Parts: sequence; structure tokens; C-alpha cells
Amino acid sequence: MTRTAPTTPASPAPATNGAPGAPAAPLLSARSLYKTYRLGRVDVPVLRGVDLDVRRGEWVAVLGASGSGKSTLLHLLGGLDRPDRPAPPSAARAESGRPAGRIAFDGRDLAELSARELDRYRSESVGFVFQFYHLLPELRVLENVTIAAMVRYGRFGFARRRAEVEDHAKALLGSFGLSHRLGHRPAELSGGERQRVAIARALMNDPPVLLADEPTGNLDHATGEAILDEIARTRYAAGLTMVMVTHDREIAARADRVVRLTDGRVA
Amino acid sequence: MYQSLLTRRYLTSKIMPLLAILAVMLCSALVLTTWSIMGGFLVMLLKIGREMEGDVSISWPTVGFAHYERLIEKLESDPLIDAACPVIETFGVIVLPDDRQFGVKIKGIDERFARVAAYEQSIWWKPISEPLPKDRAREDVRLDPEWWSRRARMMASDGRIDAAEIAQYRPWEQMLADGLNLRERDPMTGAVVPAVVLGIELSGFSERLPNGTYAPADIAGRRVSEGGFTLKSGFIPNGSVTLTVLPMGPSGRAVGAVSARLPVANEFRTGLFEADKNTVLIRLEELQRMLNMDEAERLVEAPPPADPYATEVDPDGRERAPQRAASGIEPARVTTVLVKGAPGTDPEAVRARCLEAYAAFARELAGRVPSADQMHRTIQTWERQQATFIGAVKREIAMVLFLLLFISFVAVFLILAIFWSMVSEKTKDIGVLRSIGAGRLGVAWLWLRYGVVIGVAGGVLGSALAHAVVWNINPIHEWLGRALGLVIWDPSVYYFPEIPHEVIPWKAGVVLLGGVAFSVLGALIPAVKAARMDPVRALRFE
Repeated sequence: MTRTAPTTPASPAPATNGAPGAPAAPLLSARSLYKTYRLGRVDVPVLRGVDLDVRRGEWVAVLGASGSGKSTLLHLLGGLDRPDRPAPPSAARAESGRPAGRIAFDGRDLAELSARELDRYRSESVGFVFQFYHLLPELRVLENVTIAAMVRYGRFGFARRRAEVEDHAKALLGSFGLSHRLGHRPAELSGGERQRVAIARALMNDPPVLLADEPTGNLDHATGEAILDEIARTRYAAGLTMVMVTHDREIAARADRVVRLTDGRVA
Repeated sequence: MYQSLLTRRYLTSKIMPLLAILAVMLCSALVLTTWSIMGGFLVMLLKIGREMEGDVSISWPTVGFAHYERLIEKLESDPLIDAACPVIETFGVIVLPDDRQFGVKIKGIDERFARVAAYEQSIWWKPISEPLPKDRAREDVRLDPEWWSRRARMMASDGRIDAAEIAQYRPWEQMLADGLNLRERDPMTGAVVPAVVLGIELSGFSERLPNGTYAPADIAGRRVSEGGFTLKSGFIPNGSVTLTVLPMGPSGRAVGAVSARLPVANEFRTGLFEADKNTVLIRLEELQRMLNMDEAERLVEAPPPADPYATEVDPDGRERAPQRAASGIEPARVTTVLVKGAPGTDPEAVRARCLEAYAAFARELAGRVPSADQMHRTIQTWERQQATFIGAVKREIAMVLFLLLFISFVAVFLILAIFWSMVSEKTKDIGVLRSIGAGRLGVAWLWLRYGVVIGVAGGVLGSALAHAVVWNINPIHEWLGRALGLVIWDPSVYYFPEIPHEVIPWKAGVVLLGGVAFSVLGALIPAVKAARMDPVRALRFE
């Protein structure tokens, strides 16, 4: 797990990839994102041309009210969903001057990835943390974390790396204070412990990007604060790029940058 | 990898997959049990048929054919043929010691019959040292060398049998020898006389016990002319029977009934109820004599004269119509030659050799034996002889299996319903798996693999259940009879006294694969549903 070391604990310097002093190229870049869901016979536009750049090592908080399209944006950035394209092309071009619905990770357009490459992107490049943890209830804590590596490496790859993977998972869980919970089922854990397990799972494959969807939304204030502290610590330790969706201004204030989403647009 | 982990966990933490396994298990057990019992019936039928009739029979029914020893010599010189024996098959009437009368199939055999058929094994009353598998209480009287003498003393003490009958005592070894030779020494005169061996179900004097042994009846009553009954020991090998047969002339016309009273040397049990109930074995020469098929000087009818007014002079010098009979030596005849192939030889190959041998035999004795063309249809394997019946059994098995296969589709829909419900229940898990990089195919394989595991588990358990049922089908049937009065297997209808059964490994394998295929089929649609699930919708599923 090698990451760029943060320069200061309070605000890690964004990495650059050009000449000294030049602005860093965004690790994640979204342009003219449109997304419309269909509820029954009614089309409900959720995103109406969102542009967003996230630099390497940056923590961006996406702040918005319920239904503003925050989670949808996160799903699109994580390759779980695809933006509508073109949606509508004339409007998109008119607003941004660029082709509609483009998301690029490290310069590569996600739309150009095959289904298998997109699966690999979700497995290796991004880690998701959800509001409701989404742990698999039948698996024990250690298995809930290592399953991410099982998906990534496949049967034989995992079998070869089993010991290494399990050591890594145990180290992650240990860093969240869960060493004594390895054999427990999610139902036997508190909400905070479950969310820590979910974060460990998201970090299992050492992704450069962490996408967190209201990670403290289902926790009490104290636990939420503790979780945020751990996320921040992990981000610094691993040099993660992070996009966190929240409706809480106080939480958003901990990020390097806050992006407000209103009516499907970046305000 | 994650598929196997989740499959294990879903299997051990949910009741629904256990219900799916139960459905597959019951269907597999149903199909395998039925197939094994019906298949066992056919296998036993073919096995007993070959054991009793050899591989091929060369027959010219009713009037028989002569010079059979020459044919046997020719057949036995073929390396594909192990042995051949002459047999006469006819029908007659038997009168039992208690005056009951039956129409029976009578087979005339000699010592060579034991080389072609499993005759010695089929003889029942003989010494045995080990009890039959189900005779755990060692109730088989044959295990006791002194059984008859002790029984005779007991019956004599209360006057149920007399000294003459006690004198008929023969040790088991002697009874076996007598059964093989179809001869018996008369205890009064000491003369060796021809005897018969009866099918063990024929007389009804020996009661078949649930453990597979036979218990001789104590008493057999016989009606006497003065009224009332005389009582005798019911052990039929100590009694005698009267056989009546209808001899035929060479032209096939009956020439009058012939009866003979013959002692019973032993009884035989083939396991084929029809044969055990209706067959009497008798020494070949005796049956030839009774049917006028032995070698003898006989009047042979000459063809009618061309001139209807022709006359001839008799030895006394008187004129008379020409005599149409002349005396001559007529060779002995048999109706059948049974042939046994060398071990491992296909009966059809043996039949082909028999056809060749008979063709050569018929050429050498042209005009004196039926031609090869005439015999072509009567030189048959046992399976061909019984082709109609065996074909019907095979078709019935196929039809029942088809119906069971159809019924087993219920399991497919049951699995489909269970998997559909599980996929719905696990929608969020599917969303999580997709979010950590699982592909559509990987998710589909998770459920298909789950179907495979359920199919294998259900198939293995079903196979075990089927084995347990099939191996114990007769005790189960007996228990049903005792407890519920439910007797499904009637030996007189189904040929065998016990339900035949046989689990063949490849059949178990086919049923196991079928169970897996059905489970995968049931899992297919839910697997496709899971694979096509939108991960965002799945994660938002409540």
C-alpha cells in the first residue's frame, strides 16, 4: 500500500503531474453529466449537466439537499451507472461546449471501457462506502473485507495471495480497532463498527479513490465524528482522493473543497 | 472464489435452499427407485431366462426332431459353444398327492441339462451350510442334516405318518443327487425308478417364508373312496404324483393319453414364479417313452396306393387290400436342443453359430430332419423368444421414466420459485457485489453454481435414499403388508416371488446429472435476472 505521503496533516498538497507550479490534472473529471430516471411514466431529471474535477489527493464534499442528485453523481463517478448520452446533445454542448456525459478517470473516458474494464475499475480504482454499510449479512467481518479481493483476483489469484490478502484485511480492521471482531457477523456489530468494516472493504484493494455516500448519515453524532476522523486519517495515510456526498454542512466543512449541487447542477 | 464462499454461506444459513435440496432429493430418489426396480425386473427376467434356457434353443415343437445327438456333437465342437443338451417340452396334467390337478409344462431333461442351465443351483432340497441372507434366525430346515429324521419320529409318535413313509427318508445329499439324476430308489423294492422334480410353487405344500426359505407343510390330506381323508406328511419330495401326457405321431396327430405315477425326487426354484409354479421336470428317456419319442421299432404308415382297386396276397394266400403300414426303426426325438455359449459370448453370436451348425446338420440328414429353412425361425435366443414380452417391459420402463421426468419438472419450477425469491431477497447483496467489481457473468455464475450445488446435494441424497429404499424394498413391502394390509407385489402377476431390485451405478450417475441439470435449469432464469440487475437500483432496493 504505497501512497503519496501527505505534506501536512491538515491539508495534503495536491499532487502535480506537470511542470512545477502547474495545476495538477484532475484524477476524476466529469463533464456535462445528465441523468434522468423514469418513475412510472414520468421522466425525472436528476442531473442536468454537472461538471466536476477532482484532483489527485483532494477531498471534495458534494453538498446538497435530499433528491438533488448527490448519490447519482457518486454512482456515475464510480462506474456503477452510466450518464445519459447525449442528454440532450444540443443542450449539453450549448452549456459546456464539450461532448455530453463524459467521465474520465486519470484521463481515460469511462464510456470507452468495456463492461469487464468497468468492473475492474470498480474493483481496483474506486472504493464505495454507503450510508447503510451494505455488508453481506451471511459473511463474517474478515470475509466481508476480503470479498473485495476475491472479486478482484478471482479464484486462483486469490488462492495464491490468500495469506497476504488476509494479513492486509486484518491490518485494516486492526487500524479501525476491530481486531477482536474478525469472526463476528454484521448483525453482531454496532452501527459504527459496521461502517468501519465497510470502509475497510472499500480500502481492501488499495483504490486511489474513495467514494463515500453519506457515510455518517445513519450514525449518531459522536460515532459519526469518530468515523469521519478515521476516514480523514486513512485518507492522509493512504493519500486517497475522496468524494464524499453529504447534506450536512458541518461534515462538508472538513473537506478541502465543497461543491454544492442544486437542482441537478453544480451551484 | 466469492461465489463458492457465498454459496456455502447461503446454503448453511437459509431454510429455502434446504427445501430446494429436498425437492431435488425426492425427485431423484423417485426416478432412481422406479428405474432400479423396473430395471431389476428386466435384468432378473433375462438372467433367469438364460439360466434356465441357455443362450439359444433349437426347437421343433410337438413332434420333435431326430438325430439330435449328432447335432449336439456338431454344436459342441464349436469353440464358441460351451455345451448343448437335449430337451423335450410338452404339456400335460399333474395329479398331486391330495388329488388336486393342474395343467403343467413338462420338460424332459437328462444330466447334460445341468451343464447348460443353472439346474443344480435351482434344486431346493439340498444340504446348505450357510443360511440365506435374510434368514438371520437360521430357520431354513436345510441347515439341519437331521431335520427329516427328527420330524419323522415326532410325526410317527402321534400317528400322523406310518413306517412306510418313515422309510422314505433320504438325507439332503441323496435328495440332491436324486434331483440331479431325476431318479429315485424305491424304499420298498430297492429298484431305481424315474422320478420328477417339481417347481417349488407348484404343489403348494411348501410355504414360502418372509426370510426367503420354505417350510414344508406338516400334513397333506387325500380324499379316499370310502369318504374322509388319509393324512400324510406334507413334504412333497417324499410323495409321488401322476403325470398324464398326450403323445403325438410323426404327423402331429394325438395317439392317446399316457399316464405314469412317479415319485418326486426334489423341487426346484428358479425365482421366476411362472416357471416355479407350472413346470415339472422329468427324466428325458421316461418322457420320450411316454410320448413315443424314444428309439423303437414302430409301424410306419405308407402313402396310399396310386390304384384304388389294387390288391395284394396275404401270408395265408388270401387276396386283400394293400397294407399301408410297415415296421421300421424310428430314431429317438426331442423337441429342443438347448445351447450355452462360451463364457462372455454374445447370445446372438451363439445363435449365428447354431444356424450354421444346423444348416450343416440338415444337409447331412436331408429329408430325415426339418430343413434349415424350416428351423430358421425356431433357432432363437431366449431374449428373441420373449421379444414381445421383453419389448413391452422395456417400453413400459421408458414410458414410466418419461412420465417421472415430466413430473420432475415440478422440481424445476420449485427451484425456480425458490431462487427467484432468494434473488429478490438478496438484491442488495447483488448491488454490493457489483459495486466492488463483480461482473454480470460472475453474479450469474453465483446463482448457477448455487443451483449446481443444490442439484449435487439433492442428487447425492436422493441417490442414497433410493439405495436405502431399493435395498430394503422387500422388507418395506412386507412391513406395508403387515401394518396397512397393503400388498402391491403379487408374485403370480409379477413373475418373481420378491420384488427384484438393482441399483446400477451408471443409472445413479444419470439421475445425479439429471438432478444437477434440473437444478441449473431452475436457477437459470433467476441467475439471468440477477445478472441483469441494475446495481444502482439493487443498492437502493428496500
